[in-house]
Amino acid sequence: MSAYLDTRVSLYAERLWRDEALDALVGMEDEAATDTLSRRGLPQLASGYDSLAARPDFRSLEQRIIAQILDETRVLIRPLSGDARAFLTFWTARFEMSNVKTLLRSKMTGERPAAVLARLTPMGAFGRLDNQDLAHAEDVGELLRRLEAGPYAGIVRHARRAFEQTHDPFNLDAALDHGYYEGLIQRARPLEEKVGTPFRSLMANLIDRINLVWLLRYRFNYGLPPAQVYYLLVGSRYGLASSRLQELAALDSLEAVLAALPAPWKAVLSGTSDIPGVFARMEQAAADQALRVLRSRASGIARAFAYLILRERDLRAVRAVLRGRHLGLPATDIRHALQRGAAEAM
Amino acid sequence: MLRAEPLLRIQLLMLASEAQDAALALARFGVFNPAPCTLDALGDSPATAYREAWLEAEARLSKVREQCGDSGPLQLPDDAEAPALADLEELNAWLKSVWSACLECHENEARIADARTHLDALEDTLAKLERLNVDLAHLLRADSLLAVSIGSLPASGLGRLTEALAMTRHLVSRFDQAGEQVFAVIAGPRVRHEEVRGLLAQAGWRELPVPDALRIHPQAARAWLDAERSRLEAQSGAACQVMDGLRDRFGPRLHEARLRLALARPLAEAASAGMRGQGGLAALSGWVPKRQLASLRAALDGRFHGRYWLDVREPSPREVAEVPSLVRYPAWLRPFVPLVKSYGIPRYGEFDPALPFALTWLLLFGAMFGDVGHGAVILLLSAALLRRLGRMAWVGIAAGAVSMGFGVLYGSVFGYEDLIEPLWLSPLHDPIRVLTLAVTFGVGFIALTLLANAYNKGVAGRAGEALFDSGGLAGLAFYLGAVGVLASLAGAMDVARPAAMLAGAGLAGVAAFKWFEARAGLGERILVTLIETLETAISLFSNTLSFMRVAAFSLNHVALALAVFTLANGLDAAGHGLTIVLGNIVIIVLEGGIVAIQALRLMYYEGFSRFFSADGREFAPLRLASPQAKV
Repeated sequence: MSAYLDTRVSLYAERLWRDEALDALVGMEDEAATDTLSRRGLPQLASGYDSLAARPDFRSLEQRIIAQILDETRVLIRPLSGDARAFLTFWTARFEMSNVKTLLRSKMTGERPAAVLARLTPMGAFGRLDNQDLAHAEDVGELLRRLEAGPYAGIVRHARRAFEQTHDPFNLDAALDHGYYEGLIQRARPLEEKVGTPFRSLMANLIDRINLVWLLRYRFNYGLPPAQVYYLLVGSRYGLASSRLQELAALDSLEAVLAALPAPWKAVLSGTSDIPGVFARMEQAAADQALRVLRSRASGIARAFAYLILRERDLRAVRAVLRGRHLGLPATDIRHALQRGAAEAM
Repeated sequence: MLRAEPLLRIQLLMLASEAQDAALALARFGVFNPAPCTLDALGDSPATAYREAWLEAEARLSKVREQCGDSGPLQLPDDAEAPALADLEELNAWLKSVWSACLECHENEARIADARTHLDALEDTLAKLERLNVDLAHLLRADSLLAVSIGSLPASGLGRLTEALAMTRHLVSRFDQAGEQVFAVIAGPRVRHEEVRGLLAQAGWRELPVPDALRIHPQAARAWLDAERSRLEAQSGAACQVMDGLRDRFGPRLHEARLRLALARPLAEAASAGMRGQGGLAALSGWVPKRQLASLRAALDGRFHGRYWLDVREPSPREVAEVPSLVRYPAWLRPFVPLVKSYGIPRYGEFDPALPFALTWLLLFGAMFGDVGHGAVILLLSAALLRRLGRMAWVGIAAGAVSMGFGVLYGSVFGYEDLIEPLWLSPLHDPIRVLTLAVTFGVGFIALTLLANAYNKGVAGRAGEALFDSGGLAGLAFYLGAVGVLASLAGAMDVARPAAMLAGAGLAGVAAFKWFEARAGLGERILVTLIETLETAISLFSNTLSFMRVAAFSLNHVALALAVFTLANGLDAAGHGLTIVLGNIVIIVLEGGIVAIQALRLMYYEGFSRFFSADGREFAPLRLASPQAKV
């Protein structure tokens, strides 16, 4: 089984995009772009790209990208069982959490069920929610109660209580995100013990990035008090442990937070002065680490997770190129938007 | 032989205002399978709004029915008309108001239950504070330097909240837990209390309001708690009365709503298939059986008196893959149909394998599990479970009967080989003959599947594949010729020369076909032709050998019984009897299950995979009720 997964991941790794390939996609003719996408294992995007040219439908492009990721995840989890399978399956659940948020917003705005159903991401074999039933809930309260009777009860119960106190959509979204990542860490823990450092390094990069970006955003964009900011972060045992997050949340400026980070982080983030910059640098560092794990002799599940992280980043870059092309943006602007670095130099 | 009924493609043009009645008439007609409309001149989707309204109303109705109960069986009058869009939207709005009222009752009940839990927690808190001799009035004083709050939150968030509150010099003390909810006291400097307000809301903190009465005297507190409980009881009773009132008030109209939604279903369903329209016109497309066209015209004339236009045509060769299959199976065969459909649906015009499947599966099962006693147990058990298993029980009954029949032929009763004389042969005493028979059966079975495949390919207009492919007549010629050569070599017959010529001709035909089909360079073409021709020979040979398992399992059945007897003979009388009974149960459950699966496997992989594309579409007619609903 592990030989199968290793081979499968290695074959998939060939599909990752180098900088030059993305660069070439920016300037290609439409027909050549369609052909390139098909050859690189993205037939869903290739056909989508055809229709994109005739009828702009960005959301459906997004849905096709997620469908591609789900397809590949389905193949990768085939030989897995137990904790590894549960982890990768839950990794896909963030798309379903996004559907939950879309459904909740639709109830807040009174959108008709048919309209919101068309916007939901089809989850295929990974779908655990009855979207038809949920879309026909009368209001947010009924929707939350229905969700509470489903597979994400643990996450939603907390979110409902938070929402009931204030009726603030921010509280609802923040509680859902928090619940999801707490669940992911919980599922990663047994694998970290079994698989060891490579897998743990991927999780550490992911959770530390999320915590730092959330901390900066909640503290300095939304102006929340330190204690509330700390509460909203994900309980972590990685690079930014709880005690460090408490200290950082208590600081008064973005510069002070960046200055108080551990030395390796300062090196990664040197020269950044805004939150999107911090996110981009940390994502780049995470991609570099994922690439190292992918190229290493780490266990199949660590390499599969690394591949999925890189693949998703790739597909977002491809989406940016396709959107840019469709909107007729200059090639230099599209290339600037990509902001990719060392990770792509495979 | 069973075949799908010939179907016709129809396009029904009508006034858009009568679309719902046209769909209703087609649903009453019973054999109209809607399909996407291909009239490009009609650019709108006139029934989309209708379908949306129907879906919303249907969802609301089903939720209301869960609360208010069923309103009894539904009788649809023959002359009832389907509601128009405006009526449907009005009905939807009414159902929304009914469901909102029900939802409010629900929310009230949940709030009352929550308040009860909190009251219990408050009483518990008071009891604990009483024992500690704490002056509650002093503790909860609004002008105190210390801000104290009593309340509850989800248990999972307690640890995180404690850490976060520590950052603002607040303390959390948990004193009780009910389910996933913990009750706690939070205390901290009043000057920083505002700072934690957002945090507490985020954590789902629900404060227990402690009334002044509770801060003064324990007896006053008790009196207040009792009064609160009575108030909640009264509220609960009122909520029940409201719900009962809703049932009484809405019951009759809900029945009417069910009726109207059932009448609206056909157009809503047809809309999902793809209905088109423009201006005041609407068009419905789909498939109907050829032999019922006249009765369809009569039904439409009776309802619309010529206010429609019906275009009818045969399916074109290009759209054969889109045509649904409507096969009418005899009642005795229907229990086996789900087993065929679990593999796939036959394409329109294809050979339907349900009948040969049923006969061959039973034959294989009986041959591998031939025993009068075991067959009788399966038969009786299936008959006893008829009500629970439904139609599938008949598969068990038939399998049991065939097993009994083969038991008589083999002379086997509960594994005893000496109670009755075999009418035909005993597998244990004549294993070579059993093996030969199994392989011979396999040859006949594979030859039939090749014939069926050639027929299917011919019907689909792929004459080249029907004649020359490895699964067509050339493959069959090679296969029968090769079998003839092998049989002659084994001395079973003397047809070596003509058989070799037949096999050679067949193989040459297959090779020539592969050569012409391969679109590649010369080297690759030679390679493809060689490998694919070789693969044809190997797969036919190995598939035939697969049928040796029929003999192996019939021997295995006897061998298992022998093992049980050997064990039993080493025990005393009681042990002997018990071992025989338990051994037979194991044989029936374990081996019976394995044999059933093996027979199914032979049918699917050695049979269906050879001729059955299984990618057809099932005929799904418009109906007045959903397949699950009881009308």
